[in-house]
Amino acid sequence: MNNSDLESYLLSLDKDLVLREKSDRVSITVPSEKLLQVMTQLRHDRALTFDMLSAHTAIDWSNENKLELIYQLYSSEHHHRIMVGVYLNREAPVTFSLCSLWQIAEWQEREVFDMFGVRYQNHPDLRRILLEDEWQGHPLLKDYKDDFMLERPW
Amino acid sequence: MGITMNQLLPKSLEAIPGGPALLTSLDSLINWARSNSLWPLTFGTSCCAIEVMMAAGASHHDLARFGAEVARPSPRQADLLVVAGTIVKRMAPRLKVLYEQMAEPKYVIATGACAISGGPFIYESYATVRGVHEVIPVDVYVPGCPPRPEAFFYGLLALQRLIREGETIRKPGERKKPVLAALPPGITLEQIRSELIANLENKAVVNRYE
Ligand code: SF4
Repeated sequence: MNNSDLESYLLSLDKDLVLREKSDRVSITVPSEKLLQVMTQLRHDRALTFDMLSAHTAIDWSNENKLELIYQLYSSEHHHRIMVGVYLNREAPVTFSLCSLWQIAEWQEREVFDMFGVRYQNHPDLRRILLEDEWQGHPLLKDYKDDFMLERPW
Repeated sequence: MGITMNQLLPKSLEAIPGGPALLTSLDSLINWARSNSLWPLTFGTSCCAIEVMMAAGASHHDLARFGAEVARPSPRQADLLVVAGTIVKRMAPRLKVLYEQMAEPKYVIATGACAISGGPFIYESYATVRGVHEVIPVDVYVPGCPPRPEAFFYGLLALQRLIREGETIRKPGERKKPVLAALPPGITLEQIRSELIANLENKAVVNRYE
């Protein structure tokens, strides 16, 4: 499907989806409680078949007190892409694990947990992946501080 | 200057009484040979490795002119560790292990701002080691972000000069002060090239059969 077909198809599926800015791929925002349902549709709908989770990361919008999760999906069957964003509460970010849909999500979610502290429900093995197990805090959060870090002198 | 020889040669070989001449020249011969066969360890952790290890080793710049092109994947076979890139806290112990696995004599060149001081990541970074000298001893610093291959060669020639003058390691484990091999400001590429060519010819790193 080309981008405009994909957009109209997605909007017909679920009216809670919000289209975002235009770019080389379709991008949508999903309400956090609907994430698992929408992702299952994206993965298993025959017309969509997003069978590859190529990236998963997060953005710390600390001044709006929000944490945004980003999923980049690709379909190796239809060769289309989509970006899915989900806003979480920054104080206690909890969401559903997508390991059952894409196995690689297991490591990608471990990384986001490591760096941003997002808790994934039903994740089989939610441990730190890059930092030491005994590390305190989540360093990619904007208000992260530790003894090793040097303050910028300007 | 016979110290190295006494330690390295078999016990049966004794110093010639009253005649250090043989040992002295052997020392400088060995230093000359060492300086022209620096085998670097294939080690690059980020962007500097592209410039310093890959571009410098490829045919256009041709590290082979200085006898340092035999990049070894094993620290046991290498005697030059070029730290090309950012070192983070989790990498530091591995870097130390690699350094310790190298056989003496071993030399370290730190290239780029990251390896010298932490570079662009010095402030507000939770992971970047602020200079490899916090982990292993360094012989030559090559500044830049990244240094051009010419600047790296300049550092390599500085290290070769150090070795030839017996400045770097006489006894294993004992190190001299590190040097900063910065290209002088205002220097042009042509000047560097002609200096490198003059160096190659004068110091007999390569022979010209004419
Ligand atoms: S000094 Fe610059 S080019 Fe070299 S590794 Fe650091 S950031 Fe990259």
